Amino acid sequence: MIVCVAVVGHQNNPLYIQSFTEADDALKLHHIVHCSLDVIDERVNNPKKSGPLLNETFLGLLYPTENYKVYGYLTNTKVKFILVTTDLDVKDADVRNFFRRFHAAYGDAVSNPFHVPGKKITSRTFAESVSTIVKAFGLSSAG
Amino acid sequence: MGREVSESCIDSLVTEMVFSFCNRFYADKSDLAARRIEAIGYQVGHQLSERYTMERPRFSDHLEAIKFICKDFWSEVFKKQIDNLKTNHRGTFVLQDNRFRWLSRMSVEPSLETGQEGENKATEAMSMHLYFPCGIIRGALSNLGIPCAVSADISNLPACSFVIRIKA
Amino acid sequence: MDPARTPLGRMLLDEITPVVMVLRTPLVEEACGKNGLSFVEMLSPFCSFSNIDVPVRTASDQPYRLQKFKLRLFYSSDIRQPDVQVANERLKDVITQAGEKDLSNLSSELPQVDELLSSSESDIMPSWFQFFNKELIRTMSFSDHEAFDHPVACLLVVSSKDEQPINRFVDLFNSDQLPSLLNDGAMDPKILKLYLIVHDNQDGAPEKAKKFHNEMRSTFGSNSSQLLCINSSQGGLVEHLQNPWAPFKTDASPTQRLGGFLNIDDFNEIKKLTQDLASKHVIPYMEEKVRVLNQQVSATRKGFKNQIKNLWWRKGKEDTPDASNGPVYTFSSIESQIRVLGDYAFMLRDYELALSNYRLISTDYKLDKAWKRYAGVQEMMGLTFFMLDQSRKEAEYCMENAFNTYLKTGPTGQQNATRSGLWWVEMLKTRDQFKEAAGVYFRISGEEPLHSAVMLEQASYCYLLSKPPMLRKFGFHLILSGNQYKKSDQIKHAIRTYRRSISVLKGTTWSYIQDHVHFHIGQWYSFLGLYDSAVSHLLEVLSCGHQSKTTQEFFLKIFLQTVQKTGKACQVMRLPLPVINSSSLKVVFEDHRTYASPAATGVRESLWQSLEEEIVPSLPAARANWLEVQSNFTSKPNKNSNMCIVGEAIKVAIEFQNPLQISIPLSDVSLMCELCARSDDADSEANSLTAELQNDEATMLTTDRFLNSDMSSFALSNVELTLEGGGRKMVQLTVTPRVEGTLKIVGVKWKFSSSVVGFHNFVTGSVKKIQKGGKKNKQSPADSLKFDVVKTVPRLEGFIQSLPEKVYAGELQQLTLELNNKSHLSVKNLKMKISHPRYLNIGNQRNLNMDYPACLEKKTNSAEKTILEPHTINAPRNVFLFPEDTVVQGDTSFLWPLWLHAAAPGKVSLYIILYYEIENPESFMKYRTLRMLYNLEIFPSLDVSFQISACPSTLEEFLVRMDIANKTSTRNFQIHQLSSIGYQWEISLLQPTDSIYASPTLMSGQAFSCYLILKKSKRLDRAEANGSPVCSLTVSDIQLSTEGAGGKMYDSSLSPVKDFHNVERLQHGKSLEGDSNMVDFVLIYWPLDSETDPGVSDRPSLFSHHECHCSVASTSPISWVVEGPRLIHHDFSTSFCEVTLKMALYNSADAAASVRINTLDLSRNGDAQSRDESTLASGKQAGWYNVSLDSEIKVTSDVSGIQMKPLSSDSASPFVWTGSSSTKVRLPPLSTLGIPLQICVFSPGTYDLSNYILQWSLVLPDDQGNHGETRPSSGTCQGYSYFLTVLQST
Repeated sequence: MIVCVAVVGHQNNPLYIQSFTEADDALKLHHIVHCSLDVIDERVNNPKKSGPLLNETFLGLLYPTENYKVYGYLTNTKVKFILVTTDLDVKDADVRNFFRRFHAAYGDAVSNPFHVPGKKITSRTFAESVSTIVKAFGLSSAG
Repeated sequence: MGREVSESCIDSLVTEMVFSFCNRFYADKSDLAARRIEAIGYQVGHQLSERYTMERPRFSDHLEAIKFICKDFWSEVFKKQIDNLKTNHRGTFVLQDNRFRWLSRMSVEPSLETGQEGENKATEAMSMHLYFPCGIIRGALSNLGIPCAVSADISNLPACSFVIRIKA
Repeated sequence: MDPARTPLGRMLLDEITPVVMVLRTPLVEEACGKNGLSFVEMLSPFCSFSNIDVPVRTASDQPYRLQKFKLRLFYSSDIRQPDVQVANERLKDVITQAGEKDLSNLSSELPQVDELLSSSESDIMPSWFQFFNKELIRTMSFSDHEAFDHPVACLLVVSSKDEQPINRFVDLFNSDQLPSLLNDGAMDPKILKLYLIVHDNQDGAPEKAKKFHNEMRSTFGSNSSQLLCINSSQGGLVEHLQNPWAPFKTDASPTQRLGGFLNIDDFNEIKKLTQDLASKHVIPYMEEKVRVLNQQVSATRKGFKNQIKNLWWRKGKEDTPDASNGPVYTFSSIESQIRVLGDYAFMLRDYELALSNYRLISTDYKLDKAWKRYAGVQEMMGLTFFMLDQSRKEAEYCMENAFNTYLKTGPTGQQNATRSGLWWVEMLKTRDQFKEAAGVYFRISGEEPLHSAVMLEQASYCYLLSKPPMLRKFGFHLILSGNQYKKSDQIKHAIRTYRRSISVLKGTTWSYIQDHVHFHIGQWYSFLGLYDSAVSHLLEVLSCGHQSKTTQEFFLKIFLQTVQKTGKACQVMRLPLPVINSSSLKVVFEDHRTYASPAATGVRESLWQSLEEEIVPSLPAARANWLEVQSNFTSKPNKNSNMCIVGEAIKVAIEFQNPLQISIPLSDVSLMCELCARSDDADSEANSLTAELQNDEATMLTTDRFLNSDMSSFALSNVELTLEGGGRKMVQLTVTPRVEGTLKIVGVKWKFSSSVVGFHNFVTGSVKKIQKGGKKNKQSPADSLKFDVVKTVPRLEGFIQSLPEKVYAGELQQLTLELNNKSHLSVKNLKMKISHPRYLNIGNQRNLNMDYPACLEKKTNSAEKTILEPHTINAPRNVFLFPEDTVVQGDTSFLWPLWLHAAAPGKVSLYIILYYEIENPESFMKYRTLRMLYNLEIFPSLDVSFQISACPSTLEEFLVRMDIANKTSTRNFQIHQLSSIGYQWEISLLQPTDSIYASPTLMSGQAFSCYLILKKSKRLDRAEANGSPVCSLTVSDIQLSTEGAGGKMYDSSLSPVKDFHNVERLQHGKSLEGDSNMVDFVLIYWPLDSETDPGVSDRPSLFSHHECHCSVASTSPISWVVEGPRLIHHDFSTSFCEVTLKMALYNSADAAASVRINTLDLSRNGDAQSRDESTLASGKQAGWYNVSLDSEIKVTSDVSGIQMKPLSSDSASPFVWTGSSSTKVRLPPLSTLGIPLQICVFSPGTYDLSNYILQWSLVLPDDQGNHGETRPSSGTCQGYSYFLTVLQST
């Protein structure tokens, strides 16, 4: 299942971090997301590793922590999406799909006139759409 | 994304916006008005770029981003591509649209005025309508992480060329 | 680069070197003990040689020379695997000591990221890491699965004091005290033996020792026996500049002097001893051994045949009992020999040889599943690759392989893994693969908290050093290791790591992580008792709006507890709770401008100034800038700071807001001010400057003078409030200076939940000055908070007694202005101005004690006209000067009457400015102004409109139609009287009052209309009338209601009605000298029922409605009337009947008019009617001011219609005008003229003689061409209907 999704601005400032666990692990997830930024920077800045899919928005598996898998996505506007999941076998296609829908949701969120660019995303609509996307992710990977 | 709106609606909206800024809010302070209009354009471009760059790989360099503006972005906004793109490879790009939509329906009679300054007035009035698209371009690019300055040139109408200077 | 120079290389050259086992007698130790050293310690410093320069030959006879070399000396008792517990204890001590050392710079300020990045590895990493790692590696030494720790030689030492030294040598080397390695056959027990006899020169000359030495030579061979004489210096007071032993004695106390008895000769002797120990014995021995072993190995294993045999043979002994470590290899086994060969070669830097042998053996071990040995060999292969500086990939592969294999083999393997890990890390570091190194560190951080803490911290530094630096991981691993440190209660280290991690987080918005870090640091500091540091960190987490409510409460609780622990009232600059909204800061002060109410302060300064212009002296300056004005008026110039008066409060409003969800109590909220008394006026500037300085440093370190600021110089208000969760409050604070000088408002301070004192410095925040209108931008915030306190000046407080907020339109009230002079000085020259004289007017003294409205009643209760005396018609003064003699004495109050007239519905704000001058001449200010603001809401009451139309029957008489509608929802009004004000106009009722309506009361929403007659008053003769432009206005009243007010009449020629009337006239934009065709009406009424809406005043009051400039000459300047018989008896049988009529023309215009009368024969009734209406309509427009409802228009039009209808039908029968069908006359202004008319009638009947047209045109003189442009200069009128009835006479 998806543990946490996060949106991080182009100045690496957290715009939206939502955990989907009952446990009170906000801090840990913050740490994970925070550290994954290093990996993203690395991926983007010295692209020799990432090879052909150099400029793809989808960054793939950032790093596996002991019991999480962290996926990254970097938009053209240097906004990072980060997905933390506990599923051990995740199909790449699912993650891509997830990020595509997530990006659409984000696009809507930032075109909300009451959203201040560069500030935290507080819109409830966004939260709802995200949660639906997250649920859908679970289902799609199942079937 | 294929979201469509009435073109005439947009045209009138833009015209009205320019009018009210130039003649109502900042009458006889055209530079202020220009800045305001440009700022609005900036916001619009900022928003648009977010949408229009979904589903596409990131740009590896400035040229790619500019090309994106010329092709996809322009056709999303104006239903046509930029006709001609020139660059000096030192951060300056010239985007020429041979028939810029927002000017296509526009015509200013310098005959109303007399002689030279009539011309000037006419061109100035014209250029007022160009701050908005300039702002759009700047907003889009800066949201793509390319800070730049954009100016427009309407020396030979209805062709209009936008000059992008990327801040190194 | 040369691998030997790298850290790893140096480490290896240090650690992997031949071991010399030392066996000695107690006396030897005793001798050395005199120097505070053990024997080994004494020798150790001299066992590492920088360039020993020994020629060596490789197995394949390649000659080369060893330069750097080292021997490791160990007592036989130490040659065994160290006990893990002990080792760990020692490591723990190392860490703890390091922690203690670090404690000093715990309180240093936090490091910045960039300086961390700029600094090199060595000074980022705590120095003790090296030592720790070395110790850690040492704990793994003397394992039996590797050979480089196996003693190469054995040094037997006997003191010259021992008796029977030779025998001692022999039984020193007896097996029972030899290390297990030799006993259990892990290594070859017959090793190189060296014999040393130690002589202590303190015990006399070394002859005896020499003798023994000779014996030894004979018994053990000459070159393996040595003599060492020590302690040659007498007294033992030798000082060694750089103490060579210090690094070898971990537990050395600095006071203890080492090697006191060793002088330079001893040094040389020891050097020489160790030198040829290494060069003459150890190295040649090893070289020899390598050669021998190499031959054996190549004999048995090299070559294809051997390979096959070996393989087959190993396959053969597949079924080895123990799987874990494979078979036990004795020293004689070929495997051990290969390993020894490899290690020796390694130690002799013959790396190729070493590598080949390692390769050889590793396969064997692998096949034998001797994992530990396999791993060991892999490890050595890796290192060898490194030292050869070739095929890095191989090297790392080997290291990783070794690492993993070690991990596979049980707990001891874990430790070995750590060691190989450390080596691996070093290898990666030397190749700048810091990220990978960090990964390895992470892998070797086991469960044991302390160990993992150190490893994690090292990992974090690797992340920092990796290119590009991975700061976030750096911070994260610091935090992780901090946690581990905390687990093993190394709090100081925990704090250190956490604080370093702050440097990464600073300036970011990762608030959760920041809170976590700061909070824990705070707590740990308070564990250590460093409460101030604790508080400073806990402050960071206070304003945590993003946290959950419980977390917020928890943080707050801990914070307050910590603060209590500090024991003293802690004072915090910029306490984050509550948040102070600097932009909301408003300062209200009063210099010469004083305010009656807070509302008045909110008004724009420019508005006040525009009002004050006419009152305040030196107008030209007033436009430019207030301060100039002051400098004109004040004794000393004060350029850049505001003025305030001793004893008068300066009000400061500032908004507090609470970021938390929990409510926070604030107490002692007050301003921080400083007032430096003016020594003398000259250097007040400098003085204020110094004040500035003080203020700066004061705000830096919040000195106590703000806390208990001396109340002698100024008084502060003290507010107490509780901010609800997420709430915000505007707080009003005041400071009242008590002495002259320069007052500076520095900031605000408050006490948070009665324990923490918070400060906020205004000057940092921007200041919004509502007082300074437009010039706040010119003024720096600091200046706007700086005040020149000047000597006390009288200050008037004023208010209007019982001024209602809501009134009905038309209401006329008497009010009283009350002025109180609190000071003992008196003020004079009072002036007053009111922004809207239409609504509020100033009465005169005598109104004060008359009772209202009775005072307005007419003395004689008759409807006879009173004449307004002309001088009362001058313009209402917009600046009211109180009488010269009015002086408001000190401590007295002063009353003055005001009149309120709710002229028109709507909301209106009345601005009142009162100007007064201070009496005593040497006062600082000459004058002050009092600003009052009152807001008035006026509801519509009666809607009155008048319509004037010429009366057809008689000349110079007009029908006045008055329409009144009650617009209120609740009130009922009684119409009392109507007064007309105009030139010689006189109003009268059409019928007597009671006949029409008993009592003209208007219920709410009702409307009624009545007709009145307006006629020229005959009393004044023409000559006066037309000549003088200013002729007296006459007032004529009629009473519309019989009951109420006892039939009294009110005199609208009296003030205030008169005054308000004049204002009204002005209001309607006309000059007061209206022409004679204008008339004004004043309707006086009052509410009937006493029940009133809340807020609306119910004091006894009149209502008056003023209707101005109702034009009389609405239709045309020419009016006429046809006079003649109405009924004639005539005998038509005889002849037709001739009737003579007379038309009287009147020209009401003040210009001559030419009039032509055309008589038409055929009747034009329909036409006439249409015209008539049209004229009426035009008249309507001319006469009206208020827009009235449509219904009333209809009513009027109907009424006007009636005049024609009934008779127009039967007025067909013909008659003819006789005489001139068209008459033209010239009519002088304001004159009457009679014109004869004649008709002849042919048959009896009733005739309407309206079928004539009257055309007129004014002949205007040129000079008054523009006069009366309101009226048409020419026109055509349809004749009035004049009914003539002719009867057949019999």
